[in-house]
Amino acid sequence: MSVPVSTGANVLETGVRTRRSTRRTRREARIAYGFLSVPLMLFLAFLGLPMIATLVLSTFDWNMFTPPEFVGFDNYARLMSQPDIAQAFVNTVVFTIAAVILHLVGAIVLAVAVRAILSKVAQYFVRTTLFFPMLISGAAASMIWLYMVDPNYGFINYYLERLGAQDLPNWLIEPSTALSVLIVFDLWKTLGFTFVVVLAGLQSIPQHLYEAAKLDGAGRFQQFLNVTIPMLSPTLLFASILSMSGAFQIFEPMYIMTKGGPGDSTLSLVQAIYYTAFRDFEIGLGSTISVVVAAVIAVITIAQFVLSRKWVHYDRV
Amino acid sequence: MTASSSVTHGRPSQGPVRRRGQRSRRQWTAPGRWVLTAVLVLVGVVAFIPVYWTLIASVQPEVEGFATPPRWIPTSFTLEHYADALESIPFFQQFANSVVVTAAVVVLSLVVSLLAAYPLARLEFVGRPVVFGVFIAALLIPGQVTVIPVYIVLRTIGLTDSLFGLIVPGLIQVTAIFLLRQHLLSIPRELSDAAAIDGAGHVRVLFTILLPGVGPALSALAIFIAQATWNDFFWPNLIMSTPERLTLPVGIYMLGGGAVGAPPSTIFAAVSMIVVPLLVVFLVAQRRLTEGIAFVGTDR
Repeated sequence: MSVPVSTGANVLETGVRTRRSTRRTRREARIAYGFLSVPLMLFLAFLGLPMIATLVLSTFDWNMFTPPEFVGFDNYARLMSQPDIAQAFVNTVVFTIAAVILHLVGAIVLAVAVRAILSKVAQYFVRTTLFFPMLISGAAASMIWLYMVDPNYGFINYYLERLGAQDLPNWLIEPSTALSVLIVFDLWKTLGFTFVVVLAGLQSIPQHLYEAAKLDGAGRFQQFLNVTIPMLSPTLLFASILSMSGAFQIFEPMYIMTKGGPGDSTLSLVQAIYYTAFRDFEIGLGSTISVVVAAVIAVITIAQFVLSRKWVHYDRV
Repeated sequence: MTASSSVTHGRPSQGPVRRRGQRSRRQWTAPGRWVLTAVLVLVGVVAFIPVYWTLIASVQPEVEGFATPPRWIPTSFTLEHYADALESIPFFQQFANSVVVTAAVVVLSLVVSLLAAYPLARLEFVGRPVVFGVFIAALLIPGQVTVIPVYIVLRTIGLTDSLFGLIVPGLIQVTAIFLLRQHLLSIPRELSDAAAIDGAGHVRVLFTILLPGVGPALSALAIFIAQATWNDFFWPNLIMSTPERLTLPVGIYMLGGGAVGAPPSTIFAAVSMIVVPLLVVFLVAQRRLTEGIAFVGTDR
C-alpha cells in the first residue's frame, strides 16, 4: 500500500545524495547493477519485453509460420465482430463480479462467525476445511467437481431431489447453469484465501475501539458497521483487488470441466487467448485479447485505489 | 499493513484477540453460540465433502463408490484403481518432475529476488527509481498477458517440452522482490555497516548478516511460490507433450481426458495420491501454510 509513497521518497533521497557524493554513488552503481544483472535479464526476457511484444503483436496478423503482416488496429476492430470473444468478455465479467461479491461477503460472514465460536476444536476444524481446497491443484479439483455434479456419477442431484427439486438439469451441459456451477466451484476452491486474509485483518483491530463504541451505547450490529468495517477496509480493498484479478484470469475450471461450452456459454477471456493463439494460430488476435485483459485489470486496480481514498480508513492507531 | 504484522509475528496480537473473545463471549447468548457453532461445523463438513468423497470412492469398486444413494461409510475395499492409475500414467515420474520443478523455482527465484531486492533497499545508484518503478509497474500486469511472447521465446530457445522451460520463466517473481525489499529496508543499517567495516563484501553482508532478518518473509514467500508452482496447470499444459516430462496437474488431466480416458475411480485414485500427502503436510504445518499465504496476500 505504501507503493506510491516509497517511490516518491526514493526519488528525493537519490536526488539529494547524488549531488553530495557522486563518487560513492558511482562505485555503488557498479555493485548494484552487478547484483541486478541476473534479475534484470530474467525480467526483460520473461516479463518486460513480452509485455511490449504483446502490444506490438496485437497490430500484426501472424500464424507463426508465414511472415507477420502489419495490420494496424484491425485486430481491435475484429474483437468487436467476433461473437465468441464478445461472449467470453461477458462471461468473464459476470464470473468476476459474482466471484468478488461472494468472496467478500462469504469471507466477512465466516470470519466474524468463526471468531465467535465457543469450541477451539470446532474453530480449528472450520478453518482447516475452508482453507484446504485452496491447496489442491485446480486441475485435480476440477476433475472432482466434474463427476460430483454429474447426474450419473455424482451425488448433488440425489440430494437436491431429496429436498424436493424436480427435473434437474445436467448442470455442465445446460447453457443456463454451467457458468453458475463454475462460480460455485471457484468459491469453494478459493474462499479459504479471502477468509484467512479477512481473519488476519479482524485480529488486528484494536480492542479499545470496540470498548469506546460500547461506552457510546453502540450495539453489536452498530459496532460491526462503525468499527469493524472501516477498520477492515484496507484489508477488504486488497482482498477485492486480488480476487478480482484472479477471477478475471480464470482458466482451469472452464478448460477442464466445460471446454468453454456448451456453445460459448462458459468461455473465459484467458481461454479465448489460449484457443485463438495456440489452437487457431492467430497470434495477433490472441495478443489483442491479452492487451484488453491487461488494460481492464490495470484500470480496475488503479480505480479501486483511487476510489478507496473516499472510504478506506488507513490510520489505525 | 497492520494485518500482515499480526500474521507474521502472531504474538503481539494475541492479547487483543483473547480479550475480544471474552467480550463476544459475554455478548452472545450461550444457545445462540452453539447454534452458530453447529452451522459453521456444517459449513466445514460441506466444504470437505468433495475431498472425502474422492478418497472413499477411490478405494471401493466403481459400482459402490458411485452408488445412488451415495454411501458415506465405505463397505468394501480395493486398491485396484490405484494399480490402474499407476499403469495408465507414469505417476511417480510425474511426481518427481513436480518436486524438481517446484524446488528449483522456489530456491532459485528467492535467490534472484534477494539479488534484486538488496541493491534496491541498500545501495544508492543512478537509475534506482527507474528500476524500482519498472518492477512495480509489472506488479499491475497480470501474468497471463505475457503468455504468447513467452511461449515464442521458449520455443525459439528450445525450452518447450523440457523441465527447464517450466523453471526458467518462474525465476522472476516481482512480488517477492517487492516484499523482500520492504523487509530489508526495515533492518537497521548499523547491523550491515558494522560488518562492512569489518571487511565483509556486499554478497557476504546480504547472505550472512541480512538473511536471518528476512527469514519469516522468505519462508512465507517459499510457501506461496511452492503452492503456485506445484499447482500450475496452464504452462505445463501449454509447453509440455511427453508424458514422462509432465507435472502432476497435467498428468491427472491427461488421465481423465482424451489421451487416456480412464474411468472416474482411476482418476480419483490418482487425485487421492496427490491429495493425501498434501493433507498430511497441511495438518502438520497448517499455521505456517495459512499464515504464509495470507502474508503474501496482504503484506504489500
